[in-house]
Amino acid sequence: MITTAEQEELRRTVRALLERNPPARPAPDADPGYDETVWRLLAEQVGAFGLAVPEACGGAGGTALETHVVCEELGRTLTPVPYLGSAVLATEALLVCGAAEPLPGLADGSRVAAVAWAENGTWDPAAIRAHVEDGRLTGVKEHVLDGARADLFVVPARTRDGGLAVYLAEPSTPAVRVEPLATLDLTRPQARVTFDAAPVRLIGADGHRVLERLLAVAATAISAEQLGGGERCLEMTLDHVKTREQFGRPIGSFQAVRHRLADLYVLVESARSVSYDAAHALASGAPDLAVRAATAQAYCAEAFSAVAAETVQLHGGIGFTWEHEAHLYFKRAHSAAKLFGDAAWHRARLGPLVLGG
Amino acid sequence: MNIVVCVKQVPDTATERKLRSDDKTLDRDAADGVVNELDEYAVEEALRLKEAHGGEVTVLSMGPAKATETIRKALAMGADKAVHLSDDALRGSDALSTSYALAETLKKIGFDLVILGSESTDARTGVLAAMLAERLGTPQLTLANKVEVDGSAIAIQRVTDYGYDKVEASLPAVVSVVEKINEPRYPSFKGIMAAKKKPVETLAIGDAEISADQVGLASAWSEVVDFAAAPPRAAGTVVKDEGDGGVKAAEFLASKKFV
Repeated sequence: MITTAEQEELRRTVRALLERNPPARPAPDADPGYDETVWRLLAEQVGAFGLAVPEACGGAGGTALETHVVCEELGRTLTPVPYLGSAVLATEALLVCGAAEPLPGLADGSRVAAVAWAENGTWDPAAIRAHVEDGRLTGVKEHVLDGARADLFVVPARTRDGGLAVYLAEPSTPAVRVEPLATLDLTRPQARVTFDAAPVRLIGADGHRVLERLLAVAATAISAEQLGGGERCLEMTLDHVKTREQFGRPIGSFQAVRHRLADLYVLVESARSVSYDAAHALASGAPDLAVRAATAQAYCAEAFSAVAAETVQLHGGIGFTWEHEAHLYFKRAHSAAKLFGDAAWHRARLGPLVLGG
Repeated sequence: MNIVVCVKQVPDTATERKLRSDDKTLDRDAADGVVNELDEYAVEEALRLKEAHGGEVTVLSMGPAKATETIRKALAMGADKAVHLSDDALRGSDALSTSYALAETLKKIGFDLVILGSESTDARTGVLAAMLAERLGTPQLTLANKVEVDGSAIAIQRVTDYGYDKVEASLPAVVSVVEKINEPRYPSFKGIMAAKKKPVETLAIGDAEISADQVGLASAWSEVVDFAAAPPRAAGTVVKDEGDGGVKAAEFLASKKFV
């Protein structure tokens, strides 16, 4: 078993909640927002936002496997809630840095924190140019998940001597400008955050260590979302090919379609294995976490993209319409495949990790 | 207040439900077991009454070993402890013998208030609350969409075709609830973890002094003689209206004895 009975009960609970509250699908020109009802229910009743937070800070004191289960379920429905950005990434960043005081607010879902990391389209720590001088941060951060609603930013930036450190910044100052970005994936809001000599507080002196950890956490959590999205796409496609008839029989009975479905099933089940392997590595503090997390992200990104693309194809004409959900999964697959580094970048990281040097 | 909530594990309504070919009882292995939906409302109402008036909520379930999953769900929502009546001799019990077995168990464990969902999604008899009240010699307050307790007095709104009746009684009593009564909570992860450690007492029929000759398939007052899958929906008859459409429609309704 890759999960415990209690983790499966958590999954059933979250799935029932998400199915009873299906997300409103975005209109073509609408600003992507959050599903406030699901956000509140997940936070207040299930306690999902505090799963990774220790009990002493108002959380449930769970492991990476519990957040993994929630990410997988949210990936199935594409329900927009500030989970990956706030409840997983920012929470982990605060925990690693030992900055506990914002955690109770994040754990009960009443406050949102965001990690403002990427610059110029890359999450490579070597590419960070934002810098802090005399306690003031200057720089532009992009693709900030949950940035537009954030009450708090966790920001990796250069120190005066060119090293990397992690800082906390509040958006409630004119020195911080937050702009929502137009995103391909309408179910995941992102923002650009510009810091112009904004006051910050140092929380992590060893920025490289913190980012190394965050990269593994992000890769693992996104792989769970990708697994969930792939599962849902396969289910939708199976339902379709069993009921859609052509030449007097369901199209799922044609061998050419069956072969494709078998390939998709193998992709989804392999994604499940590597994704949960990374989650176990995270939960158990395994020394080879970086390898297993990079493997999960590299594999699941491509698997979900392939499954989503086939979902569009196998649905025929309706798969190309705005009204059908297939395009939402297709866009999620392709945008998630770029978040925190694409598959090629993760594979390039794997080389030295596996071969040494 | 000592509240007992009766919960039942039923086959998932989203899957195809089957009867066994050998003894024509429900095939519980053919579908995933879930908590009967209306029982979630019963658990929620019990928890709300406990939060308002204090006391303890006990979950009572009669069913095979697998029903433990359903009991854990109710405990994860916040119930304090559970009694699981489980015995091979109970298999195939009809509503009369189920009410007898549950009533004997309730007499043994004690109660001020018993709350049930108004029916189960598999059997759908909706008679258990009334039968239990009769066997226990307590008032029955069924189909409640609102429950109020004040000391030893209890009042409900009983849903009717024309609105509701106000029904009052004194405790101990048996109440059944409808889905309009509340919005059941989702269990928290902490609740799920805590449910593992809550006491579940498993009773065989001997432990509850239930006599074997009054329960089970052999004692059932009704018998399933035969069953068949519902026939697939046949294509309808299309009548082209050539001025006589109304007559044809009336003839069809008359042939089915609707007019």
